[in-house]
Amino acid sequence: MAYVTVSDEQPIVRLQQVTKVIGRRTIIDGLTLDIPPAEVLGFLGPNGSGKTTTIRMMVGLMRMTKGDVLIGGHSVRDEYEKAIRHVGAIVENPEMYKYMTGFQNLLHFSRMVPGITTQRIDEVVQLVGLKERIHDKVKTYSLGMRQRLGVAQAIMHKPSLLILDEPTNGLDPAGIRELRDYLRKLAKEEGIAVFVSSHLLSEMELMCDRVAIIQAGKLIDVRIIQSAAQLADTTGSVLFEVDRPDDAVALLAKHEAARMDEGALVRADRETVARINAELVGAGIQVYGIRVLNKSLEDQFLEMTGGSPLV
Amino acid sequence: MYNFLQLVRNENMKIYRRIGTWIMFAIILVIVVVVSILSKVFDDNGTGSLWSVMNNIESFTYLLITIFTVVVSAESVAGEFSSGTIKLLLIRPWSRSKILLSKYIALLQFALTLSIVMLISSFVLNLVLFGYGDAKTANEALGVANNSGPFSYMLQVYVLDYIGLIMIVTLSFMLSTLFRSGGLAIGLSMFIYFFGIIASGLLSMLDYAWVDYLLFLHLNLKQYLGSEEITHNLTMGFSLSVLVGYYLLFVAITWYVFNRRDVAT
Repeated sequence: MAYVTVSDEQPIVRLQQVTKVIGRRTIIDGLTLDIPPAEVLGFLGPNGSGKTTTIRMMVGLMRMTKGDVLIGGHSVRDEYEKAIRHVGAIVENPEMYKYMTGFQNLLHFSRMVPGITTQRIDEVVQLVGLKERIHDKVKTYSLGMRQRLGVAQAIMHKPSLLILDEPTNGLDPAGIRELRDYLRKLAKEEGIAVFVSSHLLSEMELMCDRVAIIQAGKLIDVRIIQSAAQLADTTGSVLFEVDRPDDAVALLAKHEAARMDEGALVRADRETVARINAELVGAGIQVYGIRVLNKSLEDQFLEMTGGSPLV
Repeated sequence: MYNFLQLVRNENMKIYRRIGTWIMFAIILVIVVVVSILSKVFDDNGTGSLWSVMNNIESFTYLLITIFTVVVSAESVAGEFSSGTIKLLLIRPWSRSKILLSKYIALLQFALTLSIVMLISSFVLNLVLFGYGDAKTANEALGVANNSGPFSYMLQVYVLDYIGLIMIVTLSFMLSTLFRSGGLAIGLSMFIYFFGIIASGLLSMLDYAWVDYLLFLHLNLKQYLGSEEITHNLTMGFSLSVLVGYYLLFVAITWYVFNRRDVAT
């Protein structure tokens, strides 16, 4: 893409010691985070942890008390117009002008950035699947359609950073799946950095390459989300569901098997799992199922945030 | 930087895509038509003329244009805050000052368009109903102490009332920005306007020097068209200077607050 000036290795966005103090309360405390291109980065935290405030500061809706955000090398503080030029965003709900049609809304926002043709508007309308309804007034749209219109205005000017605040709010499962696939595609094929906030862990696990976890205004961890295939290559807890758990545990004593209600739990990698299975079958034990019990992000998240309520 | 006029075009689009805007235009036109026709029908002794009806329409209906523009101004800023669209509007490669300026310009354009519609429609309609007449000056036509031609006099009346409108609309634009509540901006600016008119009438009877600097004493600029000086020996020049002072204050507060404010809706 022509206007991605930074090289692939360099982050598109750098949050540097971003701090927000309102009154005496420190809402965001020295947040430092890099967002690389071609990646979906999740921003995860319980409600009230400062996700939306951080996003508002990134797009200049709120002032930073301290620190700075660099987007494509430009400071949001000092060169706002340059910094925001390559950002597309939905902050909280995708509020549009309800008395205008979807198309008029897109036309409105397209006039604020140079070089967006009506052809490009048609293209994004097609992309988000609103072709049939684009000339209807926004007040007749469902929440899902508004969300898609919101995505359309955010990607219309081909941004290098796409920020979505709680994008799955109000979407049905099909809509969530569609959005998820689309965001991954944008990141992989167009090299866009996608920054998505959410308090829904399961959603983040499916959508993101990495998640940054925030709690009470502080960044507490950034971790890579592993795919199922990657997990299989590492040693993990594997549960064998069998008909005679006691026999299975005895048989697998050398694997330090533990007796569970439904069967035997062992720690094993991919190859070992296959061998254990053969052993069990060989001993005449019925194997009903083999499950990898990796610690879900949710468990890790709860551990880290001390089990504070999530929803 | 990309064409600033596109921003004004956007603001105009948002004004004219509302049904309410067209109702405002319709109301003005209906008033002009009804008042003109009634004036003709009940003009028993033949004293009515193009100029007298035009002048009557202006003096009773211009207030309505002011109120309509105040309503639109409240929607223009506060409305974007209450609907949340302000967030999408501000995250574009434009400074907040320019976005606010585009709104302000669109607003003054709207008031100007309404004024022109009223001026032209009342002139044309009454020209048809009453004919041009043979009055050479405003004095002959309307009995005011002014020697301009009657049409030029009416134009001056409109221009001076438009200046008064700018003051009220700038005030409501400021209130709309300060409180981010359309209802409050409309209510408060109309209250200040009407209360000011009444209070300034009473206050002008007082013999204090500070009374001369009250905004409301200077909003009715067309009073200077008929005479050089009015109560308190005020002159047009003095009134305009006071208005400029208030104007700069309103504009400074509006832009300062809009630029500084965190958008947290």
